[in-house]
Order: sequence, then C-alpha cells, then structure tokens
Amino acid sequence: MESVPDLHNSMYKVLDGYPCVRLLNLSGEIGCSNPGREKVLAPIIRFKNANELSQSSAILLSMGEFQNFFKRISNDSTFARNVGGVLVESGAEPQNMLKEFSPARKFPQAEFSPYRSTNYKWNPIGSGIMWNAYNFPVFLLSESGTLTLQEEVVRNEKSKKSYTSVVAEFDLVMQTMKAGTHDSESCLKEETCLPLGGYSVWSSLRPINISSSDHSKPIILTMASMDSASFFRDKSLGAESPISGLIALMAAVDALSHVDGLDKLSKQLVFLVSTGEAWGYLGSRRFLLELDLQSDAVRGLNSSLFEMVVEVGSVGKGFNQGIQNFYAHSTGVSSALNKTLDALKRAQDSLKSDNVTISSASASNPGIPPSSLMAFLKKNSLTSGIVLEDFDTVFSNKFYHSHLDELSNVNSSSIVAAASLIARTLYTLASDTKDLSSSSLTAIKVNVSLVEELMGCLLRCDPGLSCELVKKYISPTDTCPSHYVGVIIDEPTSTPYPPYVGDVSRFLWNFLADRTSIPRENTSPVCSEDCSSKGGVCIGAETDGKGVCVVSTTRYVPAYSTRLKFESGTWTVLPPNSSEPIGILDPIWTESNWNVIGLRVYTIQSAAYDRLVLLGGISITILAYLAILITKSIITKAMKQD
Amino acid sequence: MTVAAGIGYALLALGPSISLFVSVISKKPFLILTLLSSTLLWLISLIILSGIWRPFLPLSSTTWWPYGILIFTAVAFQEGLRILFWKIYKRLEDTLDAFADRVSKPRLFLTDKMQIALAGGLGHGVAHAVFFCLSLLTPAFGPATAFVDRCSQMPFFLVSAVIALAFVTIHTFSMLIAFNGYAEGNKVDQFFVPIVHLASGMVNIIQRLNKNSSIC
Repeated sequence: MESVPDLHNSMYKVLDGYPCVRLLNLSGEIGCSNPGREKVLAPIIRFKNANELSQSSAILLSMGEFQNFFKRISNDSTFARNVGGVLVESGAEPQNMLKEFSPARKFPQAEFSPYRSTNYKWNPIGSGIMWNAYNFPVFLLSESGTLTLQEEVVRNEKSKKSYTSVVAEFDLVMQTMKAGTHDSESCLKEETCLPLGGYSVWSSLRPINISSSDHSKPIILTMASMDSASFFRDKSLGAESPISGLIALMAAVDALSHVDGLDKLSKQLVFLVSTGEAWGYLGSRRFLLELDLQSDAVRGLNSSLFEMVVEVGSVGKGFNQGIQNFYAHSTGVSSALNKTLDALKRAQDSLKSDNVTISSASASNPGIPPSSLMAFLKKNSLTSGIVLEDFDTVFSNKFYHSHLDELSNVNSSSIVAAASLIARTLYTLASDTKDLSSSSLTAIKVNVSLVEELMGCLLRCDPGLSCELVKKYISPTDTCPSHYVGVIIDEPTSTPYPPYVGDVSRFLWNFLADRTSIPRENTSPVCSEDCSSKGGVCIGAETDGKGVCVVSTTRYVPAYSTRLKFESGTWTVLPPNSSEPIGILDPIWTESNWNVIGLRVYTIQSAAYDRLVLLGGISITILAYLAILITKSIITKAMKQD
Repeated sequence: MTVAAGIGYALLALGPSISLFVSVISKKPFLILTLLSSTLLWLISLIILSGIWRPFLPLSSTTWWPYGILIFTAVAFQEGLRILFWKIYKRLEDTLDAFADRVSKPRLFLTDKMQIALAGGLGHGVAHAVFFCLSLLTPAFGPATAFVDRCSQMPFFLVSAVIALAFVTIHTFSMLIAFNGYAEGNKVDQFFVPIVHLASGMVNIIQRLNKNSSIC
C-alpha cells in the first residue's frame, strides 16, 4: 500500500456484476430497484444460513438456490420484508449444476397468440420470476466479483470478531422509484423512463429498383429476430433463442448471394431481422405499420405482394444422435404454403447426405409457437407462414430467456444444417421450376467457418464484437455482445444517427448490405457525398477505410411500440387504433432511467466499537491534561522550595 | 467507521499533544513559535533526506539491510539536526539572557528552558503524528474499516494511532532529555536519545519486513 487512494481501494471493494433493472408497462412494473433514493446497506448472509432474518440483510445465493429463494419470497412475507438485497454467485461451471432454468412464463407473450388455448405450455419449466416486481436490488456477480466477495466473506469468518461484519452496498436507485411514477404512461410524461426499442434491418437479395415500374414480383419474406431477454439486463445472450436463428439466416443469405442467376428469380427475396420481439413483438408490428403507411423505411415493398412468410426460430439444438431434426410449424391454408412445404422436402432430400430431416409440427399443437409470425397473423389472419424450429411440442431450449442461454447451449452443426435448409428452400421457391435442377440446388453450400465466426462474434466475449468480421464493417462500442433490445434514444427515424443504433443492428445492416449488393457502375467504389445521391449506400462507413459505395436495398426500420408517438422531445401514449387491433394488447414496455448503478462490499465495525474508540480518544486527552496539570503543580512546588 | 471513530482515532494520536499545547505552550507565544519552527525543521529534514535517497528508490522489499541503512541515516541526520537545534538554542539563550540583564528582568529559569525543550520535542512529535497517522485517517471517516493481515486483532487505524501516540511521546521527551544532557554535559543522557530513536525505527523495519511477526 503506497498511498491513501490505495488504502481506500483496499477497504472498499467494488464488485463486478450485472443488475436487474426496473421495467414498467401500462399496468405496473417488473424488475428490481432500491426501495428509495438512498443506497442500500445490508450485512451479507448466505441463503442456506438464513432461516430467520432478524434485520434487513443481503442474501448470497448460488444459481441452484435461485428458484427456491424466489419461491420463498412469494410465499413468506416476513422473510421477504427483511430482504435488503440479493447477490447471485456465478459458479465456474453453471451447466453442471443446473440442467434447466427459465425465468420466463410458460407461454411467453400468450396475449398475442392467434389461437385461444393460452394455457398450452410451450415452456413448461418457465417459472415467471422475471415478470414480478421486487423492491430490493438483485445483482448477478461476474466470476471476478464472486471471487472478491468470497475472499471478503472468508476473511471475516476467519477473524472471528464479533464487532465486525461484511456488508454490501447496493446502488440501484431507479428514477421512477424516486419520482413515484409506477407505470409507463406517467413515467413517459414525467420523462423518468424511456420506451424499449431499437432498429430492425431489412434487405432485399437483389436490390429493388425503385424507379422502375415493374413492382409486381411476389415477395417471399424471411425473418428472424435479434433480441432476447433475461432477468439480468446486461446478460441476455439468447444463444439458442433467437440468435441461432439469426446466424442461420445470415449464413443462408451469404450462401444465396454466391448463386448465379439471382436476377432471373421469379420472386423477390426479402430478409427482415427485427428487434424488440421479446417485448411485445415491437419490430414486427412497427414494420407492418410502416408498410401500411408506405413510409420511407419500407419504400419498394408492397405488403399485398407478400406471398409467403418464413420465420427462422431457434435452430441450435436440432442435433440428436447424428441426425439434425427440424420442424415446420405452419399456419394458414394456401397453395403458397403447400409449395413451401414441398420446397422444404426437396431441400431435405438434397441434404440427405448430411442427415437433415424436416417434418411438419404435430397436429396436437394448438398452433404456431411464440414467434413474430403471431404479429403478422394478428394483422392479417390469412397470412401464410412457416416457423422453422428445432422443437415440436415444447421448447427444446432448457434456458429460455435466461442468462444461461449461452454458447454452450447451441451446436454449430445444427445451425449450419438449418441455414442449408433455408437457403435451398428459398432458392426452390423463388425460381421457376423449369430452371431448377438438383445440381443447382446442391451447389448452394453454407460456409461453415462463417457460422463459427458469427458464433464467436455474437455469443462470446472473446473475440466478441472485436472479431474481424464485425470490425470490417463497424467500430463497436462494446466487446461483449448483449442482445437486450435497449431503449430508443431521441427520435426514431429510418436514417438514424449511427451512435444511437445498437452495435448488432449496425453490423447486420452492413453485413446484409454487403451480401445483397451489386457494385456501382461507372464510378469508383469509394464512399463520398454522391454515393447516396446516385442511389447507393455506404458500407463500412465507420471504419478507417471510410467505406465502399454499392447499390443495395438495405434499410433500418425503427422498432418501438405502435402506440407511442415521439413529438417535440417527449413520448406520448396513443389510444388503441382500430386499424391495429393488436395494439390494445400492447403493454408498452419502458425502462426506468437511473444515475449510477454500482455494488461495493466492505467490512464495518459495530457502532458500539466506534463509540468506544471515541471515548478512548477523549479520555486519553483528558487524562493527559490532568497529568500535565499535576506535573506542573509538582514542579512549581519543587521550584518554590528551592 | 463513521465520524465518531475517526475523531476517536485522531484524539488518540494527538490528544495528549493538544492537552500539552493548551495547558503549557499556548500560555507563552515564544513557545508557540518554537513549536512551529521545530515542526518546520523536522519536515525540512525529511524532505532533504528523501531527496538524498531518491536515486536509490524503490528499495527491494525482500532484503532488510537497505532499509536498515535508510533508517540509520535518517536517525543520524535527525540527531545531527537536534544538535544544531541545541546550538541555535544556546545562542538564543545567551542573547535572551543578555537582553534580560539589560532591562533588569530575571534570566531564563530552568522551567523556561525545559519548556522550550518541550515545545521543540512536541513540534517534532506533532509533525510525525500528522504525517504518518492523520494523513491516513481520511478513509476512517467513511463507513468501512480496515484490517491489516499482520495485526488482525485491531483495526489498522487503531494501530497507526497508537504508534503515532508512542512517537509523539518519544519525540517530546527525547528533546527534553537531550537538551538536559547537552546542558549538563551528561554523556548518558546524550547517547540515550539517539539510541532510543534508532531502536524504535529498527523495530518498525523488522516488523514491516518479517511477515510472520505481528505488530500487535
């Protein structure tokens, strides 16, 4: 220890952790927050030692005790009253301890389902923990944080002093708690919260020529979503649900972009990646609304030309004993649907050597699983659509919407197989049957190393978003990827200011634009002002090379609730509109603002000891004073005698 | 540990000095001046010493003898300073006595001389306490406490306050004994002070380096 700041740092240990924050909807709130304006200070006690709590304490849990703890909170109110805060340890091998964990509901977003049986359990292990409101802070400690905390606790236990205790100081003060606004409408008015949302990206495989009059090609829309949710805001990777689908879609686009004769396709292939799907299908609903309004974001698309909607859901766990199994959950009855199912079968046959199978989902299912297609069906119940998943009757993802849905939960070969299926099915659908031969189908190959690279970029911290593929297009703000949708900053527009758009959205925009582009004729490929004026877009504009100008139809579509409107700097809630019947079901999710979020742990002395020290100091001073007086009088007496 | 404990530790280290100041030194302005100038001199000596030692830092923490030499030179320098202080004081004493003779007032009594020595020693002690204990005390006013591995029975601030108190006492009485020794030519007294000073410094080093021993 060299100086006072060193002493300060050794006394107060900052713990690295992921908080659970306050989210609000129209009828109330969910998530966690400090109960007031102050930091919460509570002595740390392990859950297994916490049978009776005598004072407000910080409970230390392991992941295995997480579900039991929250069950106890909901059942035992005297226990719940004394919970000051919660710290969750992350072990080195969580998969060994927990086989399944899902804080989501048993039928996620059931209110949006087009069928009545909302009791069906798509996610039977869902406990619904993340959908309750808690008046105490909850933090998930990172691995380094767990180690630091354990050192402190062990040191305190070893010293065996009765007057010291280890406390945790939680700083999770949420502005909506301070301002007393406990639902979306009031907090948006008071500007203590911001609505959830982001930017979806859509791209057309051959650029749509806006100026040409021929816009009558039927459109096949393939979509995936890019956002997940979890109990802890910054730790929602969503590897299996939905990022496996996103990676499959990206790999399929890449495979299709290398095919010859894309200009001769008889149908238009459009790819949409939406965000905000976990919070009321924000991306899909907004996309459909923009289509109705024929806004700039979707110029060139005519929703009446949508022939088929193919959604890529969770496809990372299809691998089972040497065979990749996928299921097509379909809706509607139409010739387009039959054609799609035939195309899927053809693609399966062409992939026989890779042991890929696709089957229709069980007829005993009430309908399609929770997916963006539900938003499309609510808009137009006659839409023909297919959701491609790796499960039949219940989710195969045992960690749906939890922070444990990470890289080890998905299999790259499953994603590659799904991507191959999608690419070949789309090619079959989009081309005329006479042009189709089995050789042209087998020529469509998915790049396996691309899939693995994407998994490393989107599902790991190392290399994370600093991987080469991402750095080729954007300068990421964060290395560790997180797929929480986030909030909309400032006004939503189709040409957003890049720092307001999330890293993954920007990467997707550039990736899709690059894959679906054709080079510009007659001009140099360097990006300059005349790139957009001549109908081109700039790829990789943030990188040092300043980008390449190409022709591509790739656009951002803002994703936010259709019942919100941004005017003159504030958000207002609109009443439900008859043109969008789904709007009345929208909870309108918002996230509270906050100042700082932090977590510290340190040792404190009991107040009695402090007072003892003060008493000691005062008494020594007084005793010294008396001693000096006595000495003075003795000396004067001795001097007088001389 | 809160404000109460912080004030407690500060009083523990400097309480007796405050009492001494209030009861003896504040009565005579000359003593206040002596106290301040001795504090200043002590600090200047430390600065000069650190200037001399700067090229040799940082010292390796595994061997003890560089620290030994450091403490030895520091103590030797300060004892030299003490003798210098004594010489200045002697000259001052002669001047004051001559002045007293001229205005027919009494000369310096023994108590006066002892008080001057006391003020000088207290100046050294207060400087040591302020710089080695009080400067570390700011975190003590916050809610947390600190324990050092080498003495885990007492909080770190308590240990440093007690050590500071000990040094204040040593410095104060050293000056008194040294001046007495120089005045009477008493060799025992003259050598007693540097030896005690050196011993306390060395003990400090031994405990800092020997990880097994406990300061407690």
